[in-house]
Amino acid sequence: MDDSTILETRDLNLWYGPKQALLDISIRIPKNTVTALIGPSGCGKSTLLRCFNRMNDLIDSARITGRILFEGDDIYADHTDVYTIREKIGMVFQKPNPFPKSIYENVAYGPRIHGVRRKEVLDDVVETSLKRAALWEEVEDRLHEPALALSGGQQQRLCIARSLAVEPRVILMDEPCSALDPIATAKIEDLIIRLARDYTVVIVTHNMQQAARVSEYTGFMYMGRLVEFDRTQRIFEDPTEELTENYITGRFG
Amino acid sequence: MKREEATAVQSGYPGWPGHSWRGPEAPFARRNRHLTDLIVGKLLFIVAVLAILVVFFIIGFLLRDGYQIVLETGIWNFLGGVDWNPAGSPPSFGILPLIVGTILVTALAMAIAVPLSMATAIYIAEIAGPGTKAVVKPAVELLAGIPSVVYGFFGLILLTDWIRILFDRPSGSSWLAGSILLAIMAIPTITSVAEDALSSVPREFREGSLALGATRWQTIRSVIVPGAVSGISAAVILGMGRAIGETMAVLMVTGNAAVIPDPITNVFSPVRTLTGTLGIEMGEVAFGSLHYHALFGVAVVLLAITLAVNGLSRLIIRRMQRTPARSRAPGPLMQAVHGLIPLSLPHRARRRIIHPKTTQKFAFLLISMGVVIVLAALGVILLEIIVKGAGAISLEFLTAPPSDLGRAGGIFPAIVGTLYLVAGALAVALPLGIATAIYLIEYTADTWLTRGIRAAVDLLNGTPSIVFGLFGFAFLVLFLNFGVSLIAGQITLGLMVLPTIIRTTEESLRAIPKSLREGSYALGASKWQTVWRVVLPPALPGIITGAILSIGRAAGETAPIMFTAAVFSSRYLPSSLFEPVMSLPYHLFILTTSVAGADDQKFGTALVLLMMVLSIYLIAILVRHRYNRATVV
Repeated sequence: MDDSTILETRDLNLWYGPKQALLDISIRIPKNTVTALIGPSGCGKSTLLRCFNRMNDLIDSARITGRILFEGDDIYADHTDVYTIREKIGMVFQKPNPFPKSIYENVAYGPRIHGVRRKEVLDDVVETSLKRAALWEEVEDRLHEPALALSGGQQQRLCIARSLAVEPRVILMDEPCSALDPIATAKIEDLIIRLARDYTVVIVTHNMQQAARVSEYTGFMYMGRLVEFDRTQRIFEDPTEELTENYITGRFG
Repeated sequence: MKREEATAVQSGYPGWPGHSWRGPEAPFARRNRHLTDLIVGKLLFIVAVLAILVVFFIIGFLLRDGYQIVLETGIWNFLGGVDWNPAGSPPSFGILPLIVGTILVTALAMAIAVPLSMATAIYIAEIAGPGTKAVVKPAVELLAGIPSVVYGFFGLILLTDWIRILFDRPSGSSWLAGSILLAIMAIPTITSVAEDALSSVPREFREGSLALGATRWQTIRSVIVPGAVSGISAAVILGMGRAIGETMAVLMVTGNAAVIPDPITNVFSPVRTLTGTLGIEMGEVAFGSLHYHALFGVAVVLLAITLAVNGLSRLIIRRMQRTPARSRAPGPLMQAVHGLIPLSLPHRARRRIIHPKTTQKFAFLLISMGVVIVLAALGVILLEIIVKGAGAISLEFLTAPPSDLGRAGGIFPAIVGTLYLVAGALAVALPLGIATAIYLIEYTADTWLTRGIRAAVDLLNGTPSIVFGLFGFAFLVLFLNFGVSLIAGQITLGLMVLPTIIRTTEESLRAIPKSLREGSYALGASKWQTVWRVVLPPALPGIITGAILSIGRAAGETAPIMFTAAVFSSRYLPSSLFEPVMSLPYHLFILTTSVAGADDQKFGTALVLLMMVLSIYLIAILVRHRYNRATVV
């Protein structure tokens, strides 16, 4: 594996009970870039995303074969600690899911569970994370108010800040803008592009324009298979596969 | 050392200089959390298994002893025998009169309660303005909080007297008195569940009907009530379960003769119910005798009835869930449209004599009358007890022990005894119940095993409290030889509220969205960190509400303690867990049924008990209210 790959799957298959959701997926996610996963509903893009930080462990019927490597280490190996994997590979969900706590406590939650107790350290993490998530100016004078009082877009940026506070290497985003209005969406997209300087972002989206706007690489998935993976420009302008072209041009999906 | 280096390198991101919190302390936490996860998981597992074993043990114990009577007399002689005479020679154990008594009392009670509850529910959900609603709704909930022995007291002192005078009978203790009392007790249950069902009928249905020119009454009758029919059926079944399971109030007013009314419609005949039989005869039965087994047989019949009631309501609820609101939508709406079509046909319009507005007026009048009857029942009971009880209350009454069989002195040992019983019950039930619920919801998948456990917990949740009394008496008092003692009462009450605590805790945990748990896991939190820091805090108000309601129930119950813990007149508080104890509900029961005179003490005790239980319920309502406000923001 070369240095520029941070996440990699080899012949990954996943079943939910008897139903196979992923078929022979082999993909290499490049470091410090934004990678988009696109495809019609039910194609397995969210399922693939949830493999990268083992969130599928929470689904009892899920079973996988194949390998998933993070920085060259198998994340399903016996000696791998699933909690540490999730520390290094954060996730932002489709619907903003702030905890019913204050803004401050939401961001401080991650560092706290990983053993940070000193207040000045926590204060510092909260401020830095909120600044990086472009939310600081809007909430700096009401850090101790409930997070649920924020607007949807603000809540989603809070969830991003909460994820950043754990200092992950990779941030997985599962249709992070699908519950937001266009203005909030634009803010999050801006943020994603800026985050790619320091982090690897993998984003699942059903919005092709969004994929084109924010990502450097794009994977097109269809019925559990990875049909094509390439530079975003290539995917959108000159795809190799006919299936990809049909989807991009809106002939189905 | 290697590890620290590694984390230091990891956090050296460009653009994030000097901001990492990852120091030497982080790996320490990491090592601990797997161990914590493991230990907590094992502990919860052990407690949950214990609680579940207890649940199955109770059921098995009842079945085992109940089976004996079937062996002795044969199942049909037991269920179909018309003679219940355990003291005769030879004794006979036919429970048909008891079954008939239970059915008759419950059926008439439902005939009274269902229309009144429906009227009240419709009034609260559809007709009342916000001001009246704010009065009527809590008033009805208040009715639910009155302990059954207080209802029985009211029934025996006043209701039976009224019936005797009004219908010119030698005695008012009758089927009718029992049914009226049970109706009053079932009304709050039916009303609140039915009101929930009515209120959750989507607004569009209402608007759709009104937009077609229907009156409010036409809308209620042909759109809203049909749309809520599943919920209303569940409400009626729940109310029925409550009526069947009631012991004290029924036992005090039905006369308790084990006869089938002759003719069968004679509502002035005394009757005896299954629960009443347990309440009356349990204390005098010899351990292991045929009579003893017959009482267990009665308890098993009650379990079977509970099972049937639970199954029926589960069936209805499942049908409700299987047809989601959207697919159900055309149903009531189409019904509404069909119901309205005749209105628009000219020939029908001409033939119609009564204008819809007149019908509405008449219907609303009937509904208002129903609400007035319900409020009047509440008012009469409360007023009677408050006015007559207030005169009896003095510092001496509250702080002195009773003397002269409760005709003089106070009720101090009963007040403290009740507190002891409730505290002990909670000490048994809270840790067991909460840990079991956490284990069931957070640590197990939904399998046939957990479904079986839930069904068993539900069965015990609906089981009449007197059956717990029988279990406590047979197992704790007699078998374990605790004797009639504080600890036997505490454990019996604890077991009685255990299923409630498990279920309310489960519901509160289930209400926490999955997305919150995922959010926590995605940050690398362990299982226990997620449960402890993310799931439990928002679930706490619901858990506390459940616990407080259990306290209220435990404080007001008589049936489970009367043969396990309670003593009538004691000058002293128990000095150990193995001594019997006075308690308010039992004191009121004995004063009312066995002590002539002492009216002041009776009303005083009833008032103190009422105030104690109602203030507990009030706290529960406040907790919920405060929580609701806190989350809306």
